[in-house]
This record gives sequence, structure tokens and C-alpha cells, in this order.
Amino acid sequence: MKRPGLWLATVAFLTFFLGPFFWQVLTSLWPDGQLTQPLPSSLTFDNYVSVLWGRPFLQVLMNSLLAASLTTLFCMAVGASAAFALAKLEFRGRGLLLAAALAVSMFPPIATVSPLYLILRTVGLRDTLVGLVPPYATFALPLTLWILTSFFRQLPDELYRAARVDGCTPLGAFWRVLLPLAAPGLATTAILVFIFAWNEFLYALTFLSSPEKRTVPVAISLFASEHKEPWGEIAAASVIATLPLVVMTVLFQRRIVSGLTAGAVKE
Amino acid sequence: MNGTVKAPGSMGRERRQAYMLVAPAVLVLVGVAVYPILAAIWLSLHRLILVFGERRWVGLENYGFMLGDARFWNALGNTGYFTLVAVTVELLLALPLALLLNTAFPGRGILRASVLVPWAIPTVVSAKLWAWLFNPDYGLINRLLPGPDINWLGVPGYALHAAILVDVWKTTPFMALLLLAGLQGISEDIYKAARVDGASRWRSFVSMTLPLLKPAILLALLFRTLDAFRVFDAIFVLTEGGPANTTETLSIYAYKTLMRAGNFGYGSTLSVMTFLCVVGLSLVYIRLLGKEGR
Amino acid sequence: MRRPLISVLVLGLVLWTLPGCRRKKEEASVAGGKTPLVFKYQPLGDPVAFRELLADFERKNPDVVLSTEALPNSSDVAHQFFLTSLEGGADDFDVLVVDVVWVPEFAKAGWIADISKAFPPEVLRRDFLSGPVEAVVVDGKTYAVPWYVDVGVLFYRKDLVPRAPRTYAELEQFAREAKAKDPRLQGYVWQGRQYEGLNCNVFEAIWGHGGRVLDEKGRLELDTEQARAGLDYLRGLIASGVSPPGVTSAAEEEARRVFQSGQAVFMRNWPYAWEEAQKPDSPIRGKVGITPLPTVSGEPGWGTLGGWQLAVNAHVSPKRKDAAERLIAHLTSPEANVRMALSYGRNPPRPSVYKDPRLVERVPFIASLLGMVENARPRPVTPYYNLLSDVLQSEFSAAIAGIRPPETALKQAQRQVDHLTGQFE
Repeated sequence: MKRPGLWLATVAFLTFFLGPFFWQVLTSLWPDGQLTQPLPSSLTFDNYVSVLWGRPFLQVLMNSLLAASLTTLFCMAVGASAAFALAKLEFRGRGLLLAAALAVSMFPPIATVSPLYLILRTVGLRDTLVGLVPPYATFALPLTLWILTSFFRQLPDELYRAARVDGCTPLGAFWRVLLPLAAPGLATTAILVFIFAWNEFLYALTFLSSPEKRTVPVAISLFASEHKEPWGEIAAASVIATLPLVVMTVLFQRRIVSGLTAGAVKE
Repeated sequence: MNGTVKAPGSMGRERRQAYMLVAPAVLVLVGVAVYPILAAIWLSLHRLILVFGERRWVGLENYGFMLGDARFWNALGNTGYFTLVAVTVELLLALPLALLLNTAFPGRGILRASVLVPWAIPTVVSAKLWAWLFNPDYGLINRLLPGPDINWLGVPGYALHAAILVDVWKTTPFMALLLLAGLQGISEDIYKAARVDGASRWRSFVSMTLPLLKPAILLALLFRTLDAFRVFDAIFVLTEGGPANTTETLSIYAYKTLMRAGNFGYGSTLSVMTFLCVVGLSLVYIRLLGKEGR
Repeated sequence: MRRPLISVLVLGLVLWTLPGCRRKKEEASVAGGKTPLVFKYQPLGDPVAFRELLADFERKNPDVVLSTEALPNSSDVAHQFFLTSLEGGADDFDVLVVDVVWVPEFAKAGWIADISKAFPPEVLRRDFLSGPVEAVVVDGKTYAVPWYVDVGVLFYRKDLVPRAPRTYAELEQFAREAKAKDPRLQGYVWQGRQYEGLNCNVFEAIWGHGGRVLDEKGRLELDTEQARAGLDYLRGLIASGVSPPGVTSAAEEEARRVFQSGQAVFMRNWPYAWEEAQKPDSPIRGKVGITPLPTVSGEPGWGTLGGWQLAVNAHVSPKRKDAAERLIAHLTSPEANVRMALSYGRNPPRPSVYKDPRLVERVPFIASLLGMVENARPRPVTPYYNLLSDVLQSEFSAAIAGIRPPETALKQAQRQVDHLTGQFE
């Protein structure tokens, strides 16, 4: 690819992906009365003021951060070891497990939300942020398993064998040798899972009832009054809610970029 | 890349450790997913409509009714069309995007952070954002496009494609990130070798990158297809399935039947059917993936 | 170097979740012998006035510990929440808000309690508007009490038309005349997107053409002369350019934003749009009139009845049910009606309240709505409504969008409705 082509493509992609978002930013600064005009005659920070001070939106952000981080950590912890076993160890039912995990994530959530509610209530996790982790795992864990399994499969078997010859247990080989090498895959998966959990609406709406535990999508859905929709405030809230994710991506950048460690031989 | 290793140590120990490693994942999935799914399947065999307060076993009657239900076939058609077009376009955009993200150039950092933005906005909000852009009277799209104003969300034919555009905007980053992860698994060395051999970039892309990337492409297609087939939020916010059900997908039909009409029996039947379609689709992919995996 | 950082993060997160749990327990112990009461409602606006109203209740009922949990205002989302939780036998909330069209459904499902003892039907009939009472009394028993009402009305631009139109012909004529003077104007905006609001618009058009959607036996009747005339009229508005093509994708807010920016002559909407139109930065401030919907004959039209009711969760204990009934009585009292109108612009369900001096003086607009809310008609009161509404929406949408002629759409709707109801009887 030549340089001009590269720049052209970059600009095109940036325009497509960021254009609507910039419009959203502009909308959030747009005085409400002028929203139907082509451009605003002045800009205002009123929407941000009312979102941050008029509503407990910082608390809401923290809640989402907590639910999404817990889900991500949980899926990484449970998923990485399982994915390693699925990719590198021999045991019965591997294909079945992968297929079953996928099947579980494929059921339309709207049909299972009622029984899930019963389960969470029975085990006393209803209306807790921790209680969101198991339902979120129904879609996040299969994703984790599949991506990480394919990642571990890409790592050469020689590495694992060498570690074993050096006296590592399978678990030790996983922890000391393969896991660090899978860091880019872990980072990618973590971001995907985090955003999935961050944006989830149905479960958060149904399982959480206390106002102080609301997550971002639920809180935003509460902005609208019976008929009127404060679009400027919704835009401001969604811009604020996007920031932590951008920060997170930047933090994980190095990991995603680093690629496979040099020396990992490809078969 | 053969999947497993014939272990040098004791086989039994390895197997035991393997079971130990997968046990937590299995427990979680069984704990939270199996009962709800079985419950939904069980409901689909009942006639259960809230407003009549009755609950009666009807066996496969709901499924029989579904086969003759024109609205079901319409929804299936819409869903299939949506999935096919959206996922194809997403792949065609995500592939160059992933290649771009994998190229070293000064703007890469910005690009990498910004492509995730669409995916980071909650779907309900991003769909609303697009509804504004599509608004026939004051939306940006009609202002930018020359020619007469188009009522994007109110005219059959346009509305489904508007929804596809929103889905493409929103989920291409997801696919690109998965493909990028795959690209990074490909060693630089083979490219160096190819360059020594004097292969053109295009040739090395077609003959080396693409085949090596195939597992990642299939994985990305698998997850996107499954998600697109169950599309709900975006279309529901944009059109609620209108006009005249021309954008009604299986999930929207199931939702309306379950949660609006309170027809839990038939609504569950529609959900199970969606599930079966998705299982069918995924089996195709898994077979393809399996071939790659060997 | 990275692991300690992650461990600290994990620890922090875990510690942070703990206080939440502890606080709950403290709350429970403070409650002691008192009855906890949870009210599921939808945000009304600035919460201060509503908190005062609830604080009054707590002062008068020291044995009750009241807490509130908000639901999104979207009717769909709220319905979905109640279906999910009540089907699971939830008893963690006591008083809930219900839409006019849900009462028979929830009552039949056994989810909301019979509260006829505390609120006898004949007392409701005496004190409340007839429309909402019709919606909350099922088989002679009270299952909910009207909280506030809503009604479809016509907004018009006093500066653009000579007077409020009384007939459909007048409306079209006025719109055309205004458009002739200023071609950028749109004539008449309303809600034509495929959703519940479309049903409201279509029923109003059918009623305005002298039709009734329910026959004497309570059967839904759509394949009639008047229904065809009503639907033909709505489609004709778009075809003739009186209404912009965009109405086929418009809900309340889309219509209001066009009207409020000064670009439309007429708008069908709910009264909430009035307050927005009178805001200081509104281009149409002081130029807007409100009137009953037009009809063919020129008599005042019937707007669709909307609004919310309060009901008691059937799964809660008798003690909590008693407290719940007291809360409902408090929130639906004439005094509460007045305060809801003053602070939130919610229209009282009690006709007598419209004559309250505070209302007449401070929100004369609401006082002026009395004639319209008295004339408000409920959507067909049948337990099947939620099942049928979905079928109607798609057929009406097909007719409005010009996919099928209104006659065909109505025939198809009738066939599906008959099939659904026949199947259930």
C-alpha cells in the first residue's frame, strides 16, 4: 500500500467511525431549543452540568465500571485457564464444551431473563452488582473461551513441550510460559468483554432495582420523561460514558500492539 | 498447528489438570444458562397467554402454528437478509481496517483508539443517534445528500438498509479487532521471505495472509453472524419493526409476542426457533473452523 | 510489576462492593417492626415536589418505611420489567404504576391485587373521569386507581390560521392556505410510525368519522365504512401533501420538534407539548392554540385516553397490602392531584380538581383541558388489547405507508383479529 492510499483510507475510516460521534458531541453542546436548526448559533455546557450535577451520573459510571471490570476479570480468570486446556491438553469432550459454550450464548436473552431472575433471587444476588457477573458471563465467557482457545492454538506446541521437559506441570507451563505470550489475545478479549458488559441493558434493568446501583445504559434510559426526550442530556451522558472506554483502549494499546513475542516460532 | 500435545509426563495427571482447568467455566455456564434455556424450551411446548391466566401443555402445537405463520416467515426473511448483508459489508470493511491497524504508521494510535468508539456507545443510544441523523426533516444525512429528502426510516426498503448501516457502523470495530488479533499471530518472517522472493504485496496478501487469517476470519464471522441474527436493540429503537413489519426480525417478533402481548408460550417458541437457526448457522462455521483447526 | 497493580485493583473492587451489602442490612434492622413499602414508579421530572408528596405520606404513616425505585418512562420497557419480575413471583415491590391498557391483563394473570374493599368501583365512578374508571375496573372489581390522565389533542398556530378547525375539511383547507403563503411550512404533523401511538392516531380518525371500534358485544370491528374512511383520511393527508411523508416514521418527539421549531401549522399530540411550546427560547411561544381533534361532523373529537394508574402487587403480604393501599389513597387524593398538576403538569383524573382555584389560577392550561379529558376515549377495553394492538400496528402502518390500500389492510387486520380472538374464546 502506498502512503497516499494509507492516509486516504485512514481518513475515510476515521470519518465514518468518528463522524457520527462528533455529531453526538456537538449535539451535547447544542442548546435544546435549536436542535432542529442546521447548526447551533451558540454552544452550551448546560447538558454536562445537569448530567454530572443534576443526576448522580458519576456514581452510575462507577457502577458500570465495577460491573464491567468484575465481569472482565471473572471471564479472564475462568476463561484463560479453560481455553489453555482446550487448546493444548488432551481430554474428552473438548469439542462438545466449545460447542455447548457457544450454544449457551446464542439463546435470545429476552426468553431467558425471567428464569434467570428466579435463580438470582434464590441465591440472593438480585439487586447486587456482583450478581450481574454470572448473567453477563453467559455471553462473555463463550466469547472469551473461543477467542483465547484460538489464540492458544496459534502458540507453538514446542513451547509447551519445552516447558514440560523443563519440569513444569501443565498448570505451571500455562502460567509461566503460555499466558504471558497470550497477552495480546487477553487484552483484545478483555476490551471486547468489557465493552459488552458496559453496554448491557436488559439484565441490568431487570436484576438491579436500587437507584444507587444503576448502570450507564439503565441510567440513560431513565432520562426521558413520559413523552419528552432530553436529547442533549442523553448525548452528553453518552459522551461521558464513552470516555472511560477510550482511556481503557489507550491503556491496553501497548498490549494489543505488541503482538506475539519475538522468538515464538510459527509452524 | 495441531491442536494438542502428546504429553511427555503422566497422561492421567495431565487429564486431571485439564478437567480442573475447565471445571470453573463449565460450572458457571451450567449454573446460569442451562436452567433458563430448558425453562424457555419447556414454555414453548405450552399454551401460556397471561391475559387468560391459563397454562396448558400443547406439545408441538405452537411449532405447527409457526410454520403456517406468514409473519414468522417474513421475520425470518428480514433477519436472514439483514445478517447476510450486514456481516458481508462488515467483513469487507473490517479486513482493510485490520490491515491498516496492523501497519506501522504515525496515525495508527489514534485510529486504533477511535475505531472502538462506535462500539463503546451503548446500542440504545447509538441507534437514537442514527435516528437523528436519519430524521427526514432535520437530520444531517438528508442535509448532506443532494436531491430530494428521503424518509429513511418510514419507507419500506430504505428502513432495513438504514438499520444495516447502523449495524455496520457499530460492529465493524469488533470484527476488525478480532481480525487484528489474528493478523498479529502471523509472523513477520514469512513476509520477509516473500519479499526476498519478490512477491508483490497483493500476491503475498492473497497467497499468505488470507489463508493464515482464515481461522480468525471464520471466528469473527461466527460471532458476528450469531449476533446479527439475533439483532434487536438497534432496529427496535430505529423503527420498532415498521413500517408494516418490513424491518421486523425474529428477535423483535419474539420480543413483541413475549413482552408486549404476554404470549409466553408462542413467544418462547419463536425464541427457540431463533436459537435453532443460529445453532444451524454456527454448525456450518464450526465445521469450516474444524477443517482449519486440524 | 503488573500483577501487584491488578491485585490491588481487584481488592479495591471487592472492598467497594461490600459496603453496599452492609448498608442494606442496617436499613433492615432500622426498619424494626415497621412495614417496608417499595414504590415502583417512573420519573416525573424534578424530583423535589414528588419527594415532598411522599414525605407527607411518611409523616402521616409513621409505621411505614417508604422507598422508591424508578423505572424508565418507556411503556414498553416498564411492561417488560413487570412481565419478567411478576412472572417470577417478585414480591420486592408493593405499589406499581400501570398503563391504562395493562390492567385487565395483569388482573387476569393474578399479578395485581383486587383492591375493591379500599376503593369500591361505585366510589371511583362517582369521583373519577369515566374513561380511566372503565380501564381499571375489571369484571366489577377494582384493580387499580387512576393517577393521572392524558388525552390526544390538536395543537394549531394561532398566527397562521384564522381559528381552530372543527372539521377535517377545515383543517386541510387551513393547512393549504398557510402553506400557500409560506411553502416551507408543513401542514399537519402526527404520529405514523409503527408503534402504539399510531393506533391512537388511527382510532381517533375512526372515531372522528363516526365509527366505533368495539361493537355492542365487545368485539373489535375494523372492516367498517367508518374505519375505511378514517384510514383513507390519514393516508390521504400524506398523499395530498397536507402531512409530510416523514410522519410515517414520526413518534411524539419527532412531531413536536418540527412543530416547535415553527415549521408546522397543526400537530396531533399529548398536552405535554404545550409546556415545551411556552418555554422562553421557543420560537412559537404564545402563538399556539389547543383544541379538541376535528371530526367530519364538526362536533368536538374524541382523543385517545392515556395515562397511568397505581396498583398493588398481588404477591405481597396483607400487612404490606394495607400499607400499599394507604399510599395509593394518598397519591390519588384530590390534594395530590392538584400538586401533580402544579408541579408536573399531569392532568388530574378527578373532574372536580379541574375547578380547584389553585389549578385555575396557576395552570389555567390544565384547567382548560377538562372538556377534552371528559371526552377522552379508552382504546378498546378488551382483555385482548395487548395481543391485538400488535396486529393493528402493522396493518395500520401498511396503510399509512401506502403499502396496502386501507381497505385491504383493514380486511387483513379484521381476519387476524378474528383469528386471535376466536382462537381464545
